Amino acid sequence: MPRKVLEELQDLSRRALVSPVTFSLLFAFALAASIVAVTGGNPLAAGEEMFTGAVTGSGLRNTLGRAIPIVGMALAVSVAFRSGIINLGGEGQMVIGGLAGTIVAIYVPGPGFLIVPLAMFTGAVVGALWALLPAYGQTRLQLPILITSLLLNYVARAITGFLVRFPLADVSVTLATTRQVPETTRMPKMPLFGGVSLSLILVILMVVGLWLVYSRTVMGYETQMAGFNMRSARYGGIDVEQRTVQVMMVAGAIGGLIGTHLIIGEALRFIDGELVLSGFAWTGLLVSLLAVNRPIPIFVTGLFFSGLQIGGLAMQRNAGVSWRLSQVLQAVVIVAVACRLVIRRRDRRPSQPVDAETAGVGEV
Amino acid sequence: MFEQIFDTALFDSATRAMIPILLAALGGMICERAGVFQIALEGIMLAGAFAAVAGSYLALNSGVGVMFGVAAGMLISLALAYGTVTRKGDSIVLGIALNLLAMGLTGFLLPQLFDVRGVFQHARIDGLDRIAIPGLSQIPWVGPVLFDNTILTYVALLLVPALWVFLFRTPIGLRLRGVGERPLAAETLGVSPTVYKYGAVLTSGALAGMAGAQLSLGNVVQFAENMSSGRGWVAVVAVMLGRAHPAGVLAAAALFALAEALGFRFQGNGLPVQVTDALPFVVTLIALIAARKRFARLLDLTTSA
Repeated sequence: MPRKVLEELQDLSRRALVSPVTFSLLFAFALAASIVAVTGGNPLAAGEEMFTGAVTGSGLRNTLGRAIPIVGMALAVSVAFRSGIINLGGEGQMVIGGLAGTIVAIYVPGPGFLIVPLAMFTGAVVGALWALLPAYGQTRLQLPILITSLLLNYVARAITGFLVRFPLADVSVTLATTRQVPETTRMPKMPLFGGVSLSLILVILMVVGLWLVYSRTVMGYETQMAGFNMRSARYGGIDVEQRTVQVMMVAGAIGGLIGTHLIIGEALRFIDGELVLSGFAWTGLLVSLLAVNRPIPIFVTGLFFSGLQIGGLAMQRNAGVSWRLSQVLQAVVIVAVACRLVIRRRDRRPSQPVDAETAGVGEV
Repeated sequence: MFEQIFDTALFDSATRAMIPILLAALGGMICERAGVFQIALEGIMLAGAFAAVAGSYLALNSGVGVMFGVAAGMLISLALAYGTVTRKGDSIVLGIALNLLAMGLTGFLLPQLFDVRGVFQHARIDGLDRIAIPGLSQIPWVGPVLFDNTILTYVALLLVPALWVFLFRTPIGLRLRGVGERPLAAETLGVSPTVYKYGAVLTSGALAGMAGAQLSLGNVVQFAENMSSGRGWVAVVAVMLGRAHPAGVLAAAALFALAEALGFRFQGNGLPVQVTDALPFVVTLIALIAARKRFARLLDLTTSA
């Protein structure tokens, strides 16, 4: 297995030189620098702060810590996108699952080594059940998942907002929030770079696991075939409806796991709106698009985007340039890739119409 | 009880809630007719809202603000048009990325340009005035609800019949629909799909930008982060539900707006804001279920693509 990983990495670096991704990254950084300059900042100083902030001091720890939800949510997106299912409901799945897991961590009595896994499991199950709604919407009612999963994000916000404001509210503080997760049921930290959450191991296991499923199993093959062309997959004897439901449940489960981790491992309270504000579901989506839904590139890209955000926060502190620039950068990279901006275009399949490519994936 | 809820004030706030959705949805409708799947409306609306406030702040004039909003909307839609039409990119990927770009860019520029976080209010921001139409605004019930509003309200309402005439009674409208339905046939007849698709996408950008201006200069006079809060997505659904027909789109937009206004009203009656906030989205989902089986094309587009 390590050799295969190495080969994939080698292959990645070889292709990186001629890849439109490289150009898109350069384009995005150039555009971001000009935006900083136009709005009265110093792009060089900002860039320096961004870089040093991401990798020095506590930066490395924070970058690894933030990579957990970004890579996790990217994996959730990739599972669906690979099968041609446009699940935009990651945010709702993360928020609903996260609150469910938090409730277990706060209210179920018991030792931490039992309650922490139980909380994560509950988060995953509830996230998966939430994802079932748009899945059945598509398979039974012919409602596009793209739309329903997105609209359900707003419903999830409302439900969790209501729950933490009323039944679950911690009345001792002015914030709309649950009680704090007791010390015994928090996700432990590993003694790595001064404390990275144990969830990092979970995310790495998911990366490896999905990579194995995609490259070695029939199920991985079938889901990908469904992504390439649903009609021919159906013709080939794949139960596309069943696959849709399964894939959505896996995506929702990952979202719920990540949501639970973000509370019992990081925030320790479910504060209304905080998970939504973090934007991890959407950052993850961009990561998955850039990595063309492949697990190992997702891990690398996720680390990179996490570094951009942690560096962005340092830049905000030290150079007075808002960290939201990182979000701009990330979105511009994807816009550029989606426009297939390359220095020299290789038209391998010039007559191929766009829609022959996996929806939401694109040949980049 | 019934009269207490369904009064003039409710319909008044429904009209205000409807106009941004309607403007954006009419833009989405034109794109749909030209065969471009437009899901960047949410981001364009947000960018329009920000630019409108910025323009109004700079020029102390709401008209300039609206122009800024329209320009910002067209700028973002230009990226969409270039990506989907010229570069043959994936419209869904581009739409999502542009939405996130607008979110990041407005969140970045707000502290960078105006040194505030979250909400930007300032005496320099000139809001859109309500213009009462003499005579019509005196009609009981209908008058104050429809004919005492911002200029953009009238633009939106007039666009409904105007776009119907344009789409179904003019040669250009016919060609636009031709490009969407039978691109090859249109091209054979000398109609350039590129030109029509660019035109449609840019128009939708202008309209969604205008929708943003109505949000930030008409409904309120301020910019708040993510203030479009899902309205652009509701507009996408309104295009689907209204079958890309002006009257249908108007009806769908009115339905969602009424849900929003009702939510607002129930909030006044003691229902928690979280519950009422979800109302337009729940109504949207229910309407989708009720009108299902109309979306075969979109389902095709988003699944088997």
